[in-house]
Amino acid sequence: MIDYHALAPELLLAGTVLAVLTVDLLRVEKYWVAVVGLFGLFLSFIPVLTLGFCDTLTFCEDTGTRFLFGESYAVDSFSLVLKALFLGSAFVAVLLSVGYLESDRFWQGEFYFLMLSSVLGAVVMASSRDLVTIFVALELVTGPTFLMAGWRKGDPRSNEAMLKFFIIGVLSAALLLFGMSLVYGTTGELTFAGIRAEAAGIRGGDLEALFTVGVLFTLLGFAFKVSAVPFHFWTPDTYEGSPTPVTAYLSVVSKTAGFVGLLAICYLAFRDATFLWGPALWVLAAASMTVGNLAALRQTNIVRLLGYSSIAQGGFILVPFGAAVAAGVTDVQLEEAFFATVTYLLIYAFMNLGAFAVIIAGGNRLRSAEIGDWAGMFGYAPGLATMLAVFFFSLAGIPPLAGWFAKFVMFRAVLSVGGGWAAALAIIAAVNSVIAFVYYAKVVKSAFMDPAPEHVAVADLARMPTVPSLQFALVLTVAGVIVLGIFPGIIAEIGELTKTFASGF
Amino acid sequence: MTVTAGWYMALAASLFTIGAAGLLLRRNALVMFMSIELMLNSVNLTFVAAGRELGVLEGQLSVLFVMVVAAAEVTVGLAIIVAVFRNRATASVDELTGLRG
Amino acid sequence: MTLADYLPIALMFVLGVGFASVAMYFSWRIAPKKPTPEKLAPYECGIVPLQEPAQRFPVKFYMVAMLFVIFDVEIIFLFAWAVRFDQFGWAGIAAVGIFVALLIETLVYVWKRGALDWNVARRARYRRVVAPERVQEEAA
Repeated sequence: MIDYHALAPELLLAGTVLAVLTVDLLRVEKYWVAVVGLFGLFLSFIPVLTLGFCDTLTFCEDTGTRFLFGESYAVDSFSLVLKALFLGSAFVAVLLSVGYLESDRFWQGEFYFLMLSSVLGAVVMASSRDLVTIFVALELVTGPTFLMAGWRKGDPRSNEAMLKFFIIGVLSAALLLFGMSLVYGTTGELTFAGIRAEAAGIRGGDLEALFTVGVLFTLLGFAFKVSAVPFHFWTPDTYEGSPTPVTAYLSVVSKTAGFVGLLAICYLAFRDATFLWGPALWVLAAASMTVGNLAALRQTNIVRLLGYSSIAQGGFILVPFGAAVAAGVTDVQLEEAFFATVTYLLIYAFMNLGAFAVIIAGGNRLRSAEIGDWAGMFGYAPGLATMLAVFFFSLAGIPPLAGWFAKFVMFRAVLSVGGGWAAALAIIAAVNSVIAFVYYAKVVKSAFMDPAPEHVAVADLARMPTVPSLQFALVLTVAGVIVLGIFPGIIAEIGELTKTFASGF
Repeated sequence: MTVTAGWYMALAASLFTIGAAGLLLRRNALVMFMSIELMLNSVNLTFVAAGRELGVLEGQLSVLFVMVVAAAEVTVGLAIIVAVFRNRATASVDELTGLRG
Repeated sequence: MTLADYLPIALMFVLGVGFASVAMYFSWRIAPKKPTPEKLAPYECGIVPLQEPAQRFPVKFYMVAMLFVIFDVEIIFLFAWAVRFDQFGWAGIAAVGIFVALLIETLVYVWKRGALDWNVARRARYRRVVAPERVQEEAA
């Protein structure tokens, strides 16, 4: 018998996707499509809560981790936390899109359909516990985003963003799949639990070489998805060419989904192969931080700057993985690393979505993404400039904004492992935090201190309102960044729940 | 000499390499899509060969999913080509150089 | 699988490359070569094209191709059910029914959007239904 309560979030979201498609066919104002979508996201959030607080509810039978379809699909505290994150981020992303899509000539109905389908993929991803499910979920996340990236159909730059993204995305899918097929071929198992059990016997055997190649190809596929250096070259172009709400979505939901897949596959399937993925991810983490931050220093376009910044942030998220490079890393240390990654992902979603919300609001007024044009924003839009400062300083990791706690747990996880390699990674991360602060602060300084450029009509801009949906999104993210920064205990509590996942079945 | 699973694996690996090379070297978007299909189908071959060697059905089951995902990707790809065609009247990737990077 | 098992593969590569190069070498050696300017030109008459002409297909061919690929391949899932339909019973039929219903909804959507119409003028009529404000905008 299928446990429908455990599947309720996915089922409700799938229903919403169909409802959005149907509403789009009716003769109604197009914003109703967005309203239905937002309502559906809210609706599917409810079962996530009831499942999460199952032990305190009378009608819910608390059965611990719920496994469905054999061991292919698991609903545990980790997947519930991530599902809540995906649904919440998608809610904000839809809010960001509403005003933006109405401001220009866009096909709106299909946009929300595609975005919600992609979110459905992310939600499924959080629960996937076998290779095929995780692959289908990953494709469901990325497939619609290819089209969303090219939503400005008449704009050649958007076309280019779409085509580059598509080719790299499909290439990475093929690499991932090839790795998975080799892992399946050598272990004979598709479920993560099965692979973990079989992998122990492979070590030192005839099939070890093939298995190693399989693991590395799988990591390679995910490295493209989370745009880790040196597999990042599509990121800045796609981020710049896509409509900005889509960029926000790509940099938060799609990227987090990639990290969730990586977490599940590394900590469950390849748990006993840390000697394989530890060094590989160590290199990726160090390269992503360094290259991302150094490239971001030179950017003059604010969207491109955030693109490189998100590559660098991806590097910071990878750091706890890389810490597993040390031989004989204990289970407790791995749990700490896992906790650090999840915490970083949760906080990253808030601050990056917020930063993009500010950029969309500013871009609506200025019609420009050049940092030079943003100078003097404090003069005519003090609220917006202040929020810009809040999000950018949070991304830089300045207390008391949420970003500092993310960085703090990240460093704690690395240092708890100890040893030369982990210490080296910690030093690289520390240097990069300083570099990152320089370019974040440069933008904020320009907005606060510099005079507005002459071609910017300050008086007109001061009167321009921010769209209500965008205001709502800004309030949500600002509140999140400040509250979580002052009371990091909340996020630590949530992260703590997910640790049980890393401790194994 | 019998044909063992290793041969199929090797064939799949060769096909995968040819596909990857085609994707990276060819500049016509349609040809690139064909290369992608080649890569995905070589993976299918690996799945089927491994499943048969191990005597389980999961390999063949995975192929169904991979095929459907591949079809969906090709559809998205064709849609993208149409969109690019309309603005450019070319399917050559080299001419898409508007963005730095 | 040991390294020795890879020997046939290596052998196959050697044979393949070897056969191709031997064949090419002999055809190059044996063939008579008397080049004239006319023979070296790509076409015997007419001007040599500087670049490939832009090939333009009507978009509707692509539309049909896309829809065909999707609907054709989705049916694969029915195959997995069909080989064991007697063991799944009514639950299986219900599951497949839901699946087919989803396909039908997609079909209805595509139909209503006019993507199945070969006649472009008629497709424009559907557009007036689905996106009236856009048609007005374009007319203005």
